[in-house]
Amino acid sequence: MPAGIKIADLNFSYSPNKRVLKSVSLEIDPGEKFGIIGPSGSGKSTLLLHLNGVLAGETGSVTIGNIPVTGKNLPEVRRLVGLVFQNPDDQLFNPTVEEDVAFGPLNFGMPAAEVRARVAEALAMMNLSGFEREISHHLSLGERKRVALATVLSMKPEVLAFDEPFSNLDPSMVMQLMEIMGSMESTQVIVSQSVLPVIAICNRMAILKDGEIVAIGEPRTLVKERSLMKASGLDLSLYRTLCSDL
Amino acid sequence: MRHAFIDKYSHLDSPVHRLDPRVKIITSLAAIIIITTEPVSGRLLNLYLYSAITLAITGLCRIPARYLLKRMLIVSPFILMAALFYPISVMPAHEVSFISDRRPLAEAGLSVFLKASLALLILILLSATERFHRLLMALRRLKVPAIVTTISALLYRYIFLLADEMIRTARARESRTPGVLRRGRLKVYGNQVAVIFLRSWERSQVIYKSMLSRGFAGEFPDMQEMRLRSSDILLSLLFVALLLLIKFLI
Repeated sequence: MPAGIKIADLNFSYSPNKRVLKSVSLEIDPGEKFGIIGPSGSGKSTLLLHLNGVLAGETGSVTIGNIPVTGKNLPEVRRLVGLVFQNPDDQLFNPTVEEDVAFGPLNFGMPAAEVRARVAEALAMMNLSGFEREISHHLSLGERKRVALATVLSMKPEVLAFDEPFSNLDPSMVMQLMEIMGSMESTQVIVSQSVLPVIAICNRMAILKDGEIVAIGEPRTLVKERSLMKASGLDLSLYRTLCSDL
Repeated sequence: MRHAFIDKYSHLDSPVHRLDPRVKIITSLAAIIIITTEPVSGRLLNLYLYSAITLAITGLCRIPARYLLKRMLIVSPFILMAALFYPISVMPAHEVSFISDRRPLAEAGLSVFLKASLALLILILLSATERFHRLLMALRRLKVPAIVTTISALLYRYIFLLADEMIRTARARESRTPGVLRRGRLKVYGNQVAVIFLRSWERSQVIYKSMLSRGFAGEFPDMQEMRLRSSDILLSLLFVALLLLIKFLI
């Protein structure tokens, strides 16, 4: 059963003078696919890092299922929430694919036999069976992206948090990734500047601007509010023109 | 972009490749100590015998000689410098210009050259006959501190990415440099290196977050199986015994 997410009045700053997240509050239902869009520098990735406890808010709270994200609960929270980073090279730091995919489960103290089974299962889900002994940084970008996702799936997380999953991917790879994401039952939080895939995948989405949530709603409804999108730095008029031409 | 990996030939099959990495590390270390502690004068025969044994083992490894020579060439200027200047450096300064018999000096130089080259060749064979991460795992099992093996693993993983970034920034510079860079060359190169350092630092932050998010608690987990066979230990002992026999009985 996937876990839901509750973020209440979350505030965070990297330096005293600049607040990156300002009173962010969100509720994401179990199994929901939730998009967070916004221009670069709006605090999307920072918000994502709070779900896994990599960053801790100055005030406010984050709860995954029934578990508050606190220092005491970090091991459990990190097992529940899998973070998929934007650049797979930041996520694949082991020499072989197998070791990268096994990294999470081993850190959580699982026995070797179970870890091997999980590695095989996660790689099969990503159509990467037989890649176990491959050297991670010899793979193509698309393969590395899929391995990066497998490294998280091997932990069987109840929440999957994607940071810019569609960046640097060609259209066919975007389609492939969307199919994979669509087939998974876990709760998904997708942070992206690529608005179109988010519209296609997500049940709901939020618009983040300057660290504040300015709107939450159904993606297709929100993107029709042209003034809101434009004011949030997400002007889609180019897409509209192109789509009507195509 | 393609890079030359130090464990490029680790997939080959040979008696040396099949040895347990822990045995290889300990045997290599023992061989290097035995060889390099030979006196610099009067023991050339021993060094010739060590060379013959090491070359025989090199042949067993089936690693192309060209690859080994290329690796050795990188360090050879330092070895040559040491071989040339060591014999003179240990003599009193006022005697240097009055040397009549140059033979002992040449022998000492050759001895330094052979010892350093053999030690280097043994290290190259060690790294070329085993996957790098297996060597690190073996070091970890030999109780080398986790911080050392973790840093080495990350360095080996990311040094190629840094090299790629270096190449990309160099291309960006060249694309905006008509002909040879004439003015402020040092400043431009300095800026380029600074940018690489900053990017590396930023990347290290993200990688660390990525590691934390998957439960990293300070040490790389290990699921490699290593089985120490009695035949590995026996071969290693025979090799070391042979070297000791040469050292003490010849």
